[in-house]
Amino acid sequence: MSGRYDAIIIGAGHNGLVAAAMLARKGRKVLVLEARDHTGGMLGDEGFRIAPLPYALRPEIIKALALDPRLIGTAKPVETVSIGSDGSAVSILGGQVKGVDTATTQAYSTFHARIGRQAKALGVMMLEPPPGLGKASFGEMAALARMALKMRLLGKTEMRDLLRIILSNAWDLLNDEIGDGPLAGALAMDATLGGAMGPRSPGTVLTLLYRMASQTSHGHGLRFMPEGGPAALVKALTDCVTAAGGEIRTGAQVDRILVDADRASGVRLQSGEEISAPLVLSNASPKTTLMTLLGVEHLDGEFVRRCRNMAAKGMVSRLDFDIADMPSLRGGGTITSGQRLVIAPDMQMIETAFNAAKYCDLPERPVLEATYDATTRRLCVSAQFTPYDLNGGWTDDARAKLSASVLTVLEDALPGIGSAVSDSRVMSPADIETGYGAAGGHWHHGELRVDQLLMLRPFDGAAQYRMPVAGLYLCGAGAHPGGDISGAAGFNAARAAIRDQGN
Amino acid sequence: MGLEPGPFHDRLVALNRQQAWMNWMGYASPSVLDNVEFEYFAIRNQSTLFDISPMCKYSITGPDAEAVVNRLVTRDIRKLKPGRVAYCIWCDEDGNVVDDGTIFRLSETEFRLCCQEPQLSWLEDIGWGFDVSISDVTRDVAGVALQGPTSCAILKDLDLKDIETLKTFGIAEFKIAGSDVTISRTGFTGDLGYELWMKPADALKVFDALMQAGKLRGLRVIGYEALDMARIEAGFLLPKVDFLSAQTVLRTDRANTPYELGLEWLVALDKPHFNGRRALVELSKQTPRRKLVAIEIERDKPAHNALVYHRKTREVGMVTSALWSPTCKRNVAYAWLDAPYGQSVTDDLWVEIYLQKEIRWQRRMARCHLVDKPFFVNSRRSATPPADF
Repeated sequence: MSGRYDAIIIGAGHNGLVAAAMLARKGRKVLVLEARDHTGGMLGDEGFRIAPLPYALRPEIIKALALDPRLIGTAKPVETVSIGSDGSAVSILGGQVKGVDTATTQAYSTFHARIGRQAKALGVMMLEPPPGLGKASFGEMAALARMALKMRLLGKTEMRDLLRIILSNAWDLLNDEIGDGPLAGALAMDATLGGAMGPRSPGTVLTLLYRMASQTSHGHGLRFMPEGGPAALVKALTDCVTAAGGEIRTGAQVDRILVDADRASGVRLQSGEEISAPLVLSNASPKTTLMTLLGVEHLDGEFVRRCRNMAAKGMVSRLDFDIADMPSLRGGGTITSGQRLVIAPDMQMIETAFNAAKYCDLPERPVLEATYDATTRRLCVSAQFTPYDLNGGWTDDARAKLSASVLTVLEDALPGIGSAVSDSRVMSPADIETGYGAAGGHWHHGELRVDQLLMLRPFDGAAQYRMPVAGLYLCGAGAHPGGDISGAAGFNAARAAIRDQGN
Repeated sequence: MGLEPGPFHDRLVALNRQQAWMNWMGYASPSVLDNVEFEYFAIRNQSTLFDISPMCKYSITGPDAEAVVNRLVTRDIRKLKPGRVAYCIWCDEDGNVVDDGTIFRLSETEFRLCCQEPQLSWLEDIGWGFDVSISDVTRDVAGVALQGPTSCAILKDLDLKDIETLKTFGIAEFKIAGSDVTISRTGFTGDLGYELWMKPADALKVFDALMQAGKLRGLRVIGYEALDMARIEAGFLLPKVDFLSAQTVLRTDRANTPYELGLEWLVALDKPHFNGRRALVELSKQTPRRKLVAIEIERDKPAHNALVYHRKTREVGMVTSALWSPTCKRNVAYAWLDAPYGQSVTDDLWVEIYLQKEIRWQRRMARCHLVDKPFFVNSRRSATPPADF
């Protein structure tokens, strides 16, 4: 045994760092163990960022951790440029859209405002632990009641509308409200990116609402690039942990969570070193944490079955293209650092791409989200519907095939890009799984679906951060409220652990 | 009739004068062959054969077999030596009993589970992640129970060497009529007896040899009804009658914990994690909300399906199994009593018995008392070597 800590956090992803900072600021002696050589998880690798586009860290968390408010506060929201099938560009920023006809502009603005109000009512639950099934505490029920009240305060019409659409699909909703096209394509992309769902899948309105639930002074549903990029965010969180007295060790792969008398008692590293602590918070995905690190022998058979059956099949591959001189868009103009390029010309294209993935094949034309980093001269592409369980496996050939099809799609929007690429890298869901402790290579550590949300996230019986082995907590994206870069899961898990210790 | 003939069916058909069959896991199983009284008294005074092939049987083998069985059942299976059998229960994550059965430890790494309800998917869930192979061997193993005071003598007549040294819950290998037979000194009657396990192809040969050897020992083939009388006397619970498997109940409060069933002696909370352990630790600290108790009822009418009252007025429970025990000469039953009755309140309990006398119903309140199980106790059950009857 080496050293003694109050809490060990497995994984220095942003959720792990938020949890570590919360605990350290409460006076706990905290050790963060990170297998890779950098902190920040999918945000952190300077060479190849899995998540190049930070979402929005919750303002409440920035406040609780006393982070520099400029991180998000003064950052400009990222503008989305969605390319239509004819090469025309639609520009979207919050409720404003340019490049579509007046009627659609108006309809979109109304729709965006309404769905924002509805998402805000649901958002009440984001920073609250989900209520327990069967035996919810007063506080948990109060949070649920607040959400119900917020929904009721939307007014009768809007509440009814919310209840009507909440379990339906993005395809129907967007066709009803704004019609198909690059605008609907960009929104449907928001609703499905990272998940194994097409726009026609039930529950995609809920994921769209999830996306819209982020709140900032600029409005809702926006994404931000913090000043200094993702690196600045990772550095701020890392510094916050160390400033509060927390220790971070990189290159320290956890091999096993140690259990003594049915309580988590520490971890064993791959090096064989054992470190003890009465609290272990895992930022790894639920499947990795429970089945690989803890071991099924500590869990009941039904619990293991639910964990095994949890939907967590990654669909996104990341590709980086080194491009010295970014070609212009077909319709004119260029892509700059502050923009997000979406190539999903209409919802049918997304659905078609998803159809191939359902049967474990690569789509002919994947749908894409891309950002261009002018400092590193790199185009970072997230290719959607590249299934984790690809037929034939993720061989070099499969990666090359994907890379080629992505370039073909890009070529339509950015003519000449093929010849401008000097180097490229591909990271498949299978690579993401091995590299980041995310079972299935899933961005959100588990599908954001109605049967895997709130008191059912990550799965029934594991929903309140506390695992059956006392002292073990889930603090990653697999836990409520789930994926993206919001930090809420780490924040909630740390609070649950602190509450269980009685202060 | 849509039922499958078991390995002994050809002989059972010939002997079943009543042609009374019942459905036991899809097999045609005799409920009574000629007369339930003859059959019952044969269990207690002679010897009996009962086909137990329909029991669900699972083989659990491999390097992690012990760990998996220990994870399944509530007893500490590490203490079960090869060549021994243990009666066990297993629980779900809420600490409710899924089923009961017997675990045969055939070697360090080979176990066989015999139980009433199909358990394959449950076993596969429990064994997931372990180096173990689990298979349903129900149709690969034929079984017959040889029970009664003269059972050992019959086996000795068949030249089974040292059968008399086989202790209760022991397992040994023998040959009968040239066929391999595994014999365990186990049974469902509370009497001296054995269970014989063989390949289905050898079933009739072994059956004929037993019948031949049993001619002068009063050997009789019996059906379920006689066995049910003996099992009540012997203190054994029957799933679907006395309790329901947690997996089959529709109303969650119908499932039962070991503490409610009076089976806490089977729960080893001090062993490493097993299914339901955390729930059972909590349950062990609480008063069970109801309890399955053994009662003795005054007068002679069996209290089938009777309600139980406190002070003749307050309904506090119900009878699940009832019997006028011909051997014990006692009117006995198992009953569920809601807390605190049967726990801190045990006096002034009554059962309401309905008697039909030539069409007309009569209602009778009979006083009952809590007693210990089993009702029938006889030292010949476990005497080694058994006396020569």
